[in-house]
Amino acid sequence: MENNLKTKLQFWPTVPAILIFIFIPVTSFSSNIQLSASVDKNQLTIEDSIELSIKISGVRNPPIPNLPPLTDFKVKSAGTQSSTQIFNSDMQVSTTHKYLLTPKIDGNFIIGPVIMNLAGSKYQSDPILVTVKKPNPIKPNENKLVYTETSISKKNPYINEQVVYTFKLFRKTEARNLNLSMPYDESFFRKENLGKAKRYSRVINGIAYDVDEVSIALFPIKIGKSTIPPSMMELDLINRTQTNRQRDPFARFFNDPFFGRTTQSKHKIFSTKPIKLESKPLPKKGKPREFKNLVGQFSITATVGKESFDSGDTTTLTITVSGIGNVMDVTLTNLNLGDQFKIYPDQPILKKSIHGNKIGGEKIFKFALVPFTTGKQTIPSISLNYFDPDKNRYSSISTNPIRLTIKPGTRTGNLNLVQSKTAPTQQKGSTVAILARDILPIHTRVDDFKRVRFDQSQRMVYMIWVIFPIIIYLIAAGYIRYNHKMNEDMSYSRRQVAHRKAIKKLNQLSVSNPEPKDSVRELSQIIREYIGDKLNLQGTAFTSKEVGERLNKNIFTDDKIFAIKKLLEKIESIQYMPVVVHKNHCLIDETTELLISLEE
Amino acid sequence: MKIKKNFVLWAILFTTLISTSRVEAQKNDISSQVTLANEFYHEKNYQAAADIFEKLVAQGETNGFLYYNLGNTHMRLGNTGNAILYYLRSQLLLPRNENLDANLRYAINQTQDQLSPSRGGLIHSLFFWVDSINLIEHFEILILFNIIFWCICIGSLYYRKSPWKSLKKISLAILLLAFFSTGIKYNLLSEHKTGVIMDKKVDVKSDRNIQNVTLFELHEGAIITVNQEDNEWAHILVSTDKSGWVPIESIAY
Repeated sequence: MENNLKTKLQFWPTVPAILIFIFIPVTSFSSNIQLSASVDKNQLTIEDSIELSIKISGVRNPPIPNLPPLTDFKVKSAGTQSSTQIFNSDMQVSTTHKYLLTPKIDGNFIIGPVIMNLAGSKYQSDPILVTVKKPNPIKPNENKLVYTETSISKKNPYINEQVVYTFKLFRKTEARNLNLSMPYDESFFRKENLGKAKRYSRVINGIAYDVDEVSIALFPIKIGKSTIPPSMMELDLINRTQTNRQRDPFARFFNDPFFGRTTQSKHKIFSTKPIKLESKPLPKKGKPREFKNLVGQFSITATVGKESFDSGDTTTLTITVSGIGNVMDVTLTNLNLGDQFKIYPDQPILKKSIHGNKIGGEKIFKFALVPFTTGKQTIPSISLNYFDPDKNRYSSISTNPIRLTIKPGTRTGNLNLVQSKTAPTQQKGSTVAILARDILPIHTRVDDFKRVRFDQSQRMVYMIWVIFPIIIYLIAAGYIRYNHKMNEDMSYSRRQVAHRKAIKKLNQLSVSNPEPKDSVRELSQIIREYIGDKLNLQGTAFTSKEVGERLNKNIFTDDKIFAIKKLLEKIESIQYMPVVVHKNHCLIDETTELLISLEE
Repeated sequence: MKIKKNFVLWAILFTTLISTSRVEAQKNDISSQVTLANEFYHEKNYQAAADIFEKLVAQGETNGFLYYNLGNTHMRLGNTGNAILYYLRSQLLLPRNENLDANLRYAINQTQDQLSPSRGGLIHSLFFWVDSINLIEHFEILILFNIIFWCICIGSLYYRKSPWKSLKKISLAILLLAFFSTGIKYNLLSEHKTGVIMDKKVDVKSDRNIQNVTLFELHEGAIITVNQEDNEWAHILVSTDKSGWVPIESIAY
């Protein structure tokens, strides 16, 4: 008894421990982790699919393993299963990821190893060889369980002509989860649905088939060749197999399919062959000027709300275009009523309908007409042109003229415009009912279609425009500062102009050609003034010796000071000579050269 | 020497005339192409109109109205993704065009996800005018204020009076604002790529592999921000908390 109690006490703490171990969502793993990949079959046709199972055992909550590249298959996840099994005290956990692989082409394929990285270790499965064969060609007289077929009503249609594209599924067995994809080139066709799928029975070569038929109307919007890609039908085929009735008394008793039968479903994909077609342009011969891409068979009628009414009152002109074809594209632009009536057009109403296996319908245009004058008026016939692909020619249809009588007005009041199809449009507080929304029109001012440039060269131009004012500023700033200094600093100003002033005076002296004595005096004065300006000295009364002393303290080198002193001494000696024999121009040239060398 | 100079002058004149006439001829050709495409559009031959507009775009014609018309044509053809893409391209060049705004809003309303272009955070709020001015206009404004600022600098150097100094400070502030605004716009356009989902339905994955988890789905015409490109995959951002990887061929930007 005591021993039994002890065992119970030992057992109870282990239960929550096991539960915690199972349900806490953390990755925990043992040393014997295994990863394996398997398929339900390795030989199949292109109409079948394989179930790839990847089983990871020995670890809880493992990461999703990386699938190998499967470019030749369509991969679809089919769920994940986890299981925990306890044998005696040994617990086994496993996770299985399932994928549905549908082959795109036939051939031999190797499903590469599935790889999983876990805690720095790499686990991988063995590769699997799969053979995909072509399905057996469908023969009408062959006793096939299920087959598909597509067709188009015309392989060489005109542009905008209706082409009916039909998909048919023939089956002798029950099918579930039917999923049909009927792709088409959206850049080449405009699509219109032709109602829901039809289901009927058909006997082919004595065998009864259930047929599911889906049709769509395609309108080619381009001229040229195009291919309608294969349609794909995905379904689960239900196979009911009879169990042994002899042994099952209930089945014999009830004789009902519910008893004694088992069902098996098989996922299948059927694809049809692509269909090529070529749309051709409408013939140019006989094409009316007002023709507007209308292809099919159409009729037109016109009615008015009232044929006799008072001046200032309105009548509603209703024009109905109906027929088979691209009725949605009908436009009415050639109403020649502008000089007789004020016209208020309403939003056209389109009613689509299916005629046999083709789309058509009617488009209703309403116009409120307010006559300008009284008396007898006629709404002329309104014509519409279309191309009839059956007759292979253009046709023109028109309405009958309508006679109206407008009596002189007997009352005053607001005009009654065309009645809107929804809420009234003229109420107190101006509540305008929106009938439909559409995009605003395209831009038509051709001058606005100039190319906008923002390339490398344009960016360069922008950069130049950014840098250019800075350069201008630097130049202007230098010039302004120079001017300010010239005006405010007299010594600087004199120093700056000294050379220019001296050269100018020397030039004047050489041109005027004065007496030698005057010339020498003038030369002496020019040099003294130059030195005075350079050194900012007041007056010019200094000897050649004083010049040497003053210049020593300042900017000139010794040889230049010596040259100045020598020239001044020479000029002084010539100046005080009784007779001057020296040539003027030689002395002027010498002075000019000296001044130039001083500036250097 | 004189003959050589004359020859150079004639050569320059001749080249200028030829290039001018070539530019003029090209301009006329574009105008006629646009007129033809517009006529096709009015005749409801939308595919023919789209073909011409697409050809012009492929030739390198960059124009907001061209993109707008192409967007309208795609809208009529039922290609909402393409329509939104071209409206967005047009908006970069015509940021204040009301018709374009209305059509873009209409096109977005036609999509399943109804995602509007993302607006940035704090910087966008501070520089609120950035979206209303295109990059070229930004550069032109920058150049204008740059010229004004440096002219005022020259004036203040010349006159050396306090009103000029105040003017200089104000113009410097405006110039800096224009400079940062242009920088932000340039950065937004080069870094912040707005794209559009072109496929009917796209699974947004957690990483660059088809086997990864599908975080959410987007549909044709959804406007996204392209964050990063990596070979055949692009990292996209829908809002601050929704991002993921999509095959690069399923988007356009």
